[in-house]
Amino acid sequence: MSHLVVENLRLAYPNAADHGGFLALEDVNFQIGDGEFVTIVGPSGCGKSTLLMLIAALLKPNTGSISLNGTPVATPGPDRALVFQDFALLPWRTVLKNVELGLELKGMGAEERHEVARKYVSMVGLRAFENHYPHQLSGGMRQRVGIARALSVAPEILLMDEPFGALDAQIRQVMGSELLRIWERDRKTILFVTHDIDEAIYLADRVIVMSASPGRVVREIKIPLPRPRGLDIRNSPEFAAFRHEIWTLLEEQVRSSGSWEQSE
Amino acid sequence: MRSLSDKTERFLLGTLGVVALFVFWEYAANHNIINVAVTTSPSRIVVAFVAQWQSGDLLGDLRVSLGEFAVGFLLSLVIGVALGIAMGMSRMVEYATDPFIWFLYSAPLIALYPLIVVWLGFGYTTVVAVTFLLTVVSIIVNTMAGVHSVEPVLVRAVQAFGGNYRAVVTKVILPASVPLIVAGVRIGLGRALLGVVLGEMFSSNAGLGFRVSYYAGRLRTADVFVALIVLILIGLATDQLCKQIEARLQAWRA
Amino acid sequence: MTLAIGTTRRPALSLRRAARPVIGTAAVASFLILWQIVGANEIIRSDLISYPSEIAETFVAMSLSGELGRNVLATLGEFVQGFIPACLFGIACGLAFALSRRLRYLTAPLFAALYSAPMIAFVPIIVVWFGVGRDSKIAMVFLAGVVPIIINTATGVNEVSESWVRAVRAFGAGKWQIITKAILPGALPAVMAGIRLGVGRAIVSLVAAEMYVSILGIGRLIQVYSNSGRAAEIFVLVGVVSVFGLGCVMALRSLERYLAPWRAER
Ligand SMILES: Nc1ncnc2c1ncn2[C@@H]1O[C@H](COP(=O)(O)OP(=O)(O)OP(=O)(O)O)[C@@H](O)[C@H]1O
Ligand SMILES: [Mg+2]
Repeated sequence: MSHLVVENLRLAYPNAADHGGFLALEDVNFQIGDGEFVTIVGPSGCGKSTLLMLIAALLKPNTGSISLNGTPVATPGPDRALVFQDFALLPWRTVLKNVELGLELKGMGAEERHEVARKYVSMVGLRAFENHYPHQLSGGMRQRVGIARALSVAPEILLMDEPFGALDAQIRQVMGSELLRIWERDRKTILFVTHDIDEAIYLADRVIVMSASPGRVVREIKIPLPRPRGLDIRNSPEFAAFRHEIWTLLEEQVRSSGSWEQSE
Repeated sequence: MRSLSDKTERFLLGTLGVVALFVFWEYAANHNIINVAVTTSPSRIVVAFVAQWQSGDLLGDLRVSLGEFAVGFLLSLVIGVALGIAMGMSRMVEYATDPFIWFLYSAPLIALYPLIVVWLGFGYTTVVAVTFLLTVVSIIVNTMAGVHSVEPVLVRAVQAFGGNYRAVVTKVILPASVPLIVAGVRIGLGRALLGVVLGEMFSSNAGLGFRVSYYAGRLRTADVFVALIVLILIGLATDQLCKQIEARLQAWRA
Repeated sequence: MTLAIGTTRRPALSLRRAARPVIGTAAVASFLILWQIVGANEIIRSDLISYPSEIAETFVAMSLSGELGRNVLATLGEFVQGFIPACLFGIACGLAFALSRRLRYLTAPLFAALYSAPMIAFVPIIVVWFGVGRDSKIAMVFLAGVVPIIINTATGVNEVSESWVRAVRAFGAGKWQIITKAILPGALPAVMAGIRLGVGRAIVSLVAAEMYVSILGIGRLIQVYSNSGRAAEIFVLVGVVSVFGLGCVMALRSLERYLAPWRAER
């Protein structure tokens, strides 16, 4: 069953410099099934963040439509929870209070949201830090808070915009496998944007490769690797084949975008 | 409005705001919405301005106030920078003077002014002294912070090339402290103007600060506003000048 | 002479750390002793400079007679009555300016003028408008306090991180919730800085207004004793005003620690 449906999406940023604005996305189409883990890779600046903002309804598309479970997406809401690259935690709130944010905005009572938030703080392993402020945490811990905050509102879909992009390589792998562990438990639908090809393959049921700006879907690649996946799966020949395929596609994109010529 | 650049819009709206205020004020005064005797009106202020200008009163007051302002400020600039560098470079001096500076910085010095009158008498010297005291502290504090912000590597570099103590001060410490000194100057200029007004208002018989109080005592509100507006313009002008210098320095550093 | 440049970056030895209070205390103590000797022995006329023990005695006498308490209370009352409205109005106004660019541009020159003007120059005209009683003092506190609060609130709100607003919006916040959950808490440190600036300006203006004309208050006392040339009393009053200012600063610090513990711990 299709869960999230994105059709003919087009978005241009209004821009004073050239009339008609900057075309960020052009004719984007794809679908995500219920409980599916989909990752998106694409050259820098191809509109991946823009796409997530559109799905979260923080931006409105020029044309095209987005629907979730058959209902058109119009306003931001807790059915689509975002996890941000820069964590976007509120520095004046403790870990627990940060996780409570979405619940608070849903109008949940203080006691209940306390309980729910606790559960998710424990799930990401920050029980001992629930009264800490974000500036007292490491980058990896901060993003765990971001993930707990997103999960706590029980969203239909989790939208993750390079959530581990600001972390160093090792923490990144650990966070990836932790995310998989959580996902394998409740099979929440996830749309996950990344720069990192290995990360995209390792996590996904399906990888969507996007073109250089203006962004389009170039290819969708199913990743039928067995689950649960250990970190050593990256050394398998199947994994290497996927890596090679995506790498070639991206390289083509970067070459053909001719960003050198355009800049003149 | 779309085609206007942000800068033009800012300028036009700002002008509009000022003009609207004066128009409304004038209208209210002439239609007895407010009591003209107490609030006066822009046209009356203009008349008073012309009268004060032609009689030479305004110029005289301006000369007195600006003179005190300049002397008080320049004294505190020279002494403040010298002391600030000394305090920034020597721990002993810093530790010893720290409590006094801190007191002068946080104590409302206005309360001290009667003593200065007792010591120095009525008039020019007192006004300059009050101005100096109010100003010098912020310059000392900022200069000291400037010296502390100098990278030790730079000092070592000059020393490595055989620079002596004076070279370290003139070639590294002073130039590197300039941005923070200018920030101190900006705060100091505001306090200097306050000092001039304070001194003149309470212990002098000349200058704009004196006039504000003199005319108010005679209910010549239009004349009060002439002096007040000139003071406000001096404040604005010096502040803007400092802002410009700060922006220049920023550009030069970046 | 050792160079102390870049000391902030070097880890301080405990011996060095002890040097500051020791030398500082020693300097203050020697200053007080010298002052006492010079003043008490009339090396310089003591009615001009007084001396510490006389100041202490004067303080006790003024407190016991009730003179100090009465006037301090009067000043405190005027301050509170002027400053609390200044905070409320200043924050509301600053918020409005931050949210409406047009409104901000419209009022910018007027506020810039009020911000850089010497506040006490307004005292005489305020007295003309509000009379010689308490009202003019309250108005002066309000006027002097409100300007930096407005300006800092507006700046603070404008500088609230886009990412906080996005986070709150993403979880479905409405316009009002964006203000209460992201903008106001985010701007709080800037607002507090504005309030701190406002306190300083308000105290100076209040004392000046009381000195200019009044029936009761610390400023009035200063004026009375300065006319009779009594240095000891004036020093007592300088101390009182300083303690008043310091008290305000400390109260604000603890308020900030309470409201914004996430910053205080840094
Ligand atoms: N507010 C905006 N106004 C104008 N152009 C924008 C704006 N935001 C993004 N863009 C442009 O739109 C394009 C897509 O931006 P977006 O942030 O979605 O890319 P991205 O794929 O997420 O990039 P990255 O991989 O670097 O995160 C970029 O070229 C960017 O310069
Ligand atoms: Mg992005």
